Amino acid sequence: MKKLLYIASIAIFFSCETTIFPELNEAEEILVIDAWLNNNLETQEIKITRSQPYFDSTLPAKVSGATVVVEDMNTGETYNFVEGEDSYTWTPGTTPLGVIDNIYRLTVTVDGETFEAYSDLGAVPPIDSIKFSWNEEDAFITQDYYTAEFVSTDLIGEGNTYWIKSYKNGVFLSKPDEINIAYDAGFSAGGAVDGQVFIQPIQDGANPFDEDPENDGEFLPPYVIGDSVYVEIHSINLFAFNFLQEVAIQTNRPGGFSELFATPLANVSTNFSSTTENSPTNIGGFFNIASISSRGGRLSQELADMAREAEQ
Amino acid sequence: MKSTILGILCSLSVLVCSAQDQFTVSGYIKDAANGEALIGATVYIKEIQGGTVTNVYGYYAVTLPPGEYNIEYRYIGFTNVNQTITVDQNVRLDLELKADNQQLEEVVVTAEAIDENVRSIEMSVAELDIKSIEKLPAFAGEVDIIKSIQLLPGVSTVGEGASGFNVRGGSVGQNLVLLDEAPVYQSSHLFGFFSVFNPDAVKDVKLYKGGIPARYGGRLSSILDIRMKEGNSKEYDVTGGVGTVFSRLAIEGPIKKDKSSFIIAGRRSYADILARPFTDIFEDGAGLYFYDLTAKTNFNINDKNRIYLSGYFGRDVFKFDERQGFDWGNQTASFRWNHLFSEKLFSNTTLFYSNYDYGFSFGENDMDKFDWNSRIITYDFKPEFTWFINNSNELTFGGEALLYRFKPANAVGVSDGVSTDISLDERKAIETALYVGNDQKLSEKLSLQYGLRLSTFSYIGGTVYNYGEATPGDDRPLISTEEKKDWETIKTYMNLEPRFSFRYSLNTTSSIKGSYNRMNQYIHLISNTTAATPIDVWQPSTNNIRPQQGNQVALGYFKNLRGNKYEFSAEGYYKWNSDQVDYVDGADLLINEFLEAELLSGDGRAYGLELYAKKNAGRFTGWLSYTLGWAELRVDGINFGDDNVNREGKWYPTRFDQRHNLKVAAFYDINEKLQLSGNFSYIAGTPTTFPTDRLTVQDYVIPYISGSERNNFRIPDYHRLDLSLTINDIWMGKKGRGGEDYLVISIYNLYGRQNPFSIYFSQGTDRPIVGDPIATSATQLSILGSVLPAVSYNFKF
Repeated sequence: MKKLLYIASIAIFFSCETTIFPELNEAEEILVIDAWLNNNLETQEIKITRSQPYFDSTLPAKVSGATVVVEDMNTGETYNFVEGEDSYTWTPGTTPLGVIDNIYRLTVTVDGETFEAYSDLGAVPPIDSIKFSWNEEDAFITQDYYTAEFVSTDLIGEGNTYWIKSYKNGVFLSKPDEINIAYDAGFSAGGAVDGQVFIQPIQDGANPFDEDPENDGEFLPPYVIGDSVYVEIHSINLFAFNFLQEVAIQTNRPGGFSELFATPLANVSTNFSSTTENSPTNIGGFFNIASISSRGGRLSQELADMAREAEQ
Repeated sequence: MKSTILGILCSLSVLVCSAQDQFTVSGYIKDAANGEALIGATVYIKEIQGGTVTNVYGYYAVTLPPGEYNIEYRYIGFTNVNQTITVDQNVRLDLELKADNQQLEEVVVTAEAIDENVRSIEMSVAELDIKSIEKLPAFAGEVDIIKSIQLLPGVSTVGEGASGFNVRGGSVGQNLVLLDEAPVYQSSHLFGFFSVFNPDAVKDVKLYKGGIPARYGGRLSSILDIRMKEGNSKEYDVTGGVGTVFSRLAIEGPIKKDKSSFIIAGRRSYADILARPFTDIFEDGAGLYFYDLTAKTNFNINDKNRIYLSGYFGRDVFKFDERQGFDWGNQTASFRWNHLFSEKLFSNTTLFYSNYDYGFSFGENDMDKFDWNSRIITYDFKPEFTWFINNSNELTFGGEALLYRFKPANAVGVSDGVSTDISLDERKAIETALYVGNDQKLSEKLSLQYGLRLSTFSYIGGTVYNYGEATPGDDRPLISTEEKKDWETIKTYMNLEPRFSFRYSLNTTSSIKGSYNRMNQYIHLISNTTAATPIDVWQPSTNNIRPQQGNQVALGYFKNLRGNKYEFSAEGYYKWNSDQVDYVDGADLLINEFLEAELLSGDGRAYGLELYAKKNAGRFTGWLSYTLGWAELRVDGINFGDDNVNREGKWYPTRFDQRHNLKVAAFYDINEKLQLSGNFSYIAGTPTTFPTDRLTVQDYVIPYISGSERNNFRIPDYHRLDLSLTINDIWMGKKGRGGEDYLVISIYNLYGRQNPFSIYFSQGTDRPIVGDPIATSATQLSILGSVLPAVSYNFKF
């Protein structure tokens, strides 16, 4: 898509952009709970902050004094998170937090008001392999280049949702346009791709397409020999899928000609709600608990040669 | 309902009975130079101080008692023809009018008879003839019909590059664009920079903004009726042009002189061809181009029958290599048959086919790819009748039956050789309409036009989705699905649409006009982008989505001054609409089987005042148009403020809520060789949404709007001046060479203003480092931020 828009921009190279500093309405500074847990045997972290005025570019400060509890609704077991320097954490002993198919509730009490959110813990399919392909140079990448993809098959049963996080050389692909989510093996519900291999654009999500800072309009090769790729599939609940989709829409603003296709600004959803009936308090953030499968690979000379031969 | 229609027919039959012992003078009026039918030519009978005008096929009929009459045939820019005839039986009089040489030097900015402004019953109609469209300064020097009508009151766009146009606060999808009766779903090339209509093949353009006659229906805001040329039936003509973006060529001529003719016109952009020597970007099959082909032919079988066959085919192609890309285009074909049952009963039967589709392709080989296309196909049968009952009543009646086939997604993905079909089911619907309307002259001073349209819509066959209730703004839960047989009706809607207009002449130079119309729209253009784009989805009304309904009242004052040299009009309108379609935040509109669960419906209202002044004749001509307007929506689940529980929506301005919209178009004849023209646009800033806060979740910085407000700020005002100079007789037009030619030098955005298209808020496109603070900023985007000169050379021989 990015390439397409670039093509379009050849015809319309007259657009221009200016950074402006408009005066905004007063910030509401709502409570934000950032709680994405997993059932790995590692420290689990929940960040509780407040929203900031839009142009405030500092790190948001921790809200202190909150009570943070996760409860397994199937077993009744509770996990009390303790306040640390930047966040609230819980560290497992020998058993991780989370059993597949159980439902969890997170309750956060701040200034006397309690907010809660639920998440079930879904399963994830294994990643069968990481593949590298060789590509001939094209208009955007002006040298022969390698791309990576993961190969995995959606679990059988409609309505599995996943967040696929990719890392190149240990760096998380964290751009808004790199948010890679799947509904079964496709982009959305109703796609009828249950139990299939993930569709190609999702498998291709392991590739960073970064603009070449030295050559305007060109892109750097996603992978060169020696690079490593690491892919994780996180199980997410349906509301988290919708949330991430909204986040992608609201944060992925490459500007320029693509603004013609941009969606108007709107608030993203949250699965938190106040336990006080008809509470006027607005809240943001999300709670999800995931299981994770992962696989890594490195583009060795040998793999590169094989990829090149396969293509030629 | 039936009784209402019967009642009208009965009252008409009384009128008919009183018209015994009369005869009809009828015929076709054509241009002597090329045989093109003249639309709206006046037939004036001195003895009765009245007459009629020709219809869109150039046909007229007047009913007179026996006697001798002086009839004057006139058409702007043509020499009047006076005929004295004895009426003692029905008279067929086909005429050809000659262009008036004396007027050729002047720019004539009206296609209609010069006092039509005041005398016609029509109001809320914007009409431009192709001659003045050709003289307007155009973006990239390319004459453009859609851009030209935006210079008229009540018509606007949300910005450069946006597809389509907005009429009186309506959305782009609420306009019905007809090319020789067939709907064109996407009127733009290269997103919104050019329109798909080739000016070389267009004869007449008429936009109904209100007071819409009963023969039209199916959209809420407007009907843009574009008529193609029939083709020169006298001699061969070649017209063409070489422009900055397009090259055009049109050939027209007789198949059999005065009986049958054809026109075929094509355009293609050539930015890619010009760029080829300078870049290797178009190797590997990459491409960026658009083209269209328009063709029409007609056969005059005999005095009573003639047929027309017209077609359009256009496509935009963006490919970044042989296999990957994006393209879209329309195809239409229409067959029309004019038949005279008698001198007084004119009929036209139209059969058309229209297809709009777009497609994406990704993937470098057959093992890994993703192909997707989406289309809407329409078939239509439309018989229409005009009964020239007498000089005071002209009855139109007819019907329409449309079959829609929606194919929202035909999508196949191949991953590692495993093919997956994620196509969505086809959806079908049938829309029908029956209408009757009458143009009635009650007296010299008072004319009425009234009618009724009965429209029905049936959503048929396939899977039925039943959704439950949800808090407004959330997806509705799916309760059950059921399968219906292929042609089994799922849901039917039926609506009665009354239409009414009047004209009251205050004196010979001024009149008051008023109108009311109700419209229903059964298919909806679902768009979640700032501007309409070619990939917006058409969605039928279903058991979950109700048809949109719109009502409009308009009142206007029309005045001509100085012997029709100046025209002036002022119109106020108020529109109230129900079941306007919106969507929940974050809705996924593409390849979504459960799209209906994400759609919301609400109310709309728009009101405003349109002022228009025009100078028709002289060396200096032009017009000034000003619109003061409001356009608002109220949808539960959107803009609900603090009402977190019920999320009851509050009124908010739409993206096309333009408070002030001023347009000036001016033409000046320096001498016979040189003409200067200019236009100026001023549009008050359009609404947009600004955030208040930012939330940080998983290292993404997400904007937040306190109170879920929508369109709470406005972007800066838009203004722009364009100029163009036309130089006639460059080479071909010089003595002895035959043919004519002219060069147009135009400058778009003369003072290079960076007009804002949008303001967006973002964390930038760099990859943030996890744990580091992330900067956010606001960016103002101008799609066209510089002076754009262009040259085009045009010829005809």
